[in-house]
Amino acid sequence: MERKVLIIIPAYNEAKNIEGVIRNLTEKTPQYDYIIINDCSKDETEEICKINQYPYITFSTNIGIGGGLQAGYKYALEHNYEIAVQHDGDGQHDPQYISDVIEPILKGQYDIVIGSRFLKKQGFQSSMFRRWGIRFLSKLVYICSGAEILDVTSGFRAVNKNYIAYYAKEYPQDYPEPEAIVSAKLNGAKICEVPVIMRERKQGKSSINRFRSIYYMIKVSCAIIICRLTRRRKS
Amino acid sequence: MTIRLRIILCFAILIYFFFLFLFLKRKMLSLKYTLLWIFAGLSGSILVLFPELLDFIVKITEIHSTMNGLFVILDFFLILLLLSLTAIVSKQTDRIKSLVQDSALMEKRIRELEYNLEQKGKS
Repeated sequence: MERKVLIIIPAYNEAKNIEGVIRNLTEKTPQYDYIIINDCSKDETEEICKINQYPYITFSTNIGIGGGLQAGYKYALEHNYEIAVQHDGDGQHDPQYISDVIEPILKGQYDIVIGSRFLKKQGFQSSMFRRWGIRFLSKLVYICSGAEILDVTSGFRAVNKNYIAYYAKEYPQDYPEPEAIVSAKLNGAKICEVPVIMRERKQGKSSINRFRSIYYMIKVSCAIIICRLTRRRKS
Repeated sequence: MTIRLRIILCFAILIYFFFLFLFLKRKMLSLKYTLLWIFAGLSGSILVLFPELLDFIVKITEIHSTMNGLFVILDFFLILLLLSLTAIVSKQTDRIKSLVQDSALMEKRIRELEYNLEQKGKS
């Protein structure tokens, strides 16, 4: 039996990308449902969703990527989805890998699967400084939770039913990706990585520019350490 | 502490409490968030009414003058109040986030229901 899969697509000011992303998605993986989370975009993202009749939810005020993803998980929980896949709305992720990402969950081996750029080192690898930053965070995640994940900042991930409920209840805010791994791992989740190939974003700017990257590193490192200190490890 | 200073501080505390109760009466403050302010005011009154206590604190902490001691105590309360404000703001942010999410999910349901009704009306 086909299991219910929901693809969660967070979108903030993605008017230029979103149509391409959805076209690609519906061509390559028509069997899965998807939902766009419009985080109060200032451009025409919402209008585009409306005109094309994409399934979407839209926020009345900007609450950030963490809050957006959490709403996606709430939606998945309400509609009894068994697997949720996070998939960026900026065209970095390729839908052809969705089946690879959900495969370990379908087999029941893992709770959370992360699509990693660094396992096969193919496709867009990000700048050298960012790779250093990610390597540092990856080490920190390992020290704090024991999760051995290379691409801790990857927003391409699949989650099973238990962790849909877990994330619907509580999902980190601001720059949530590495912290979400630590919190789930401390809760006893089985997490693995599968290789995917990512592209460079097609249009628009990344949410993290050079000046913000220092703030990003400090904030995320603190968040990971505090997460470790405030949570009791289960199993 | 000189008598003159004590009288001035007494007045200051009276004005402080006057405004506190005025705000409470007009429901501009909720009591829950005012408890720490009341507590700070009461502590200030005790120190002014019983200056020996302040002298004692200053002596055991080896602070050089009584006024400095008063400043340190005041700073302590200010930091405590700021911390409690940050806690309140964080909690409010969390609640707003939750409300925005739930209203967005609800809006989607309404949109779908309207669409389904429209389709039914057409057929």
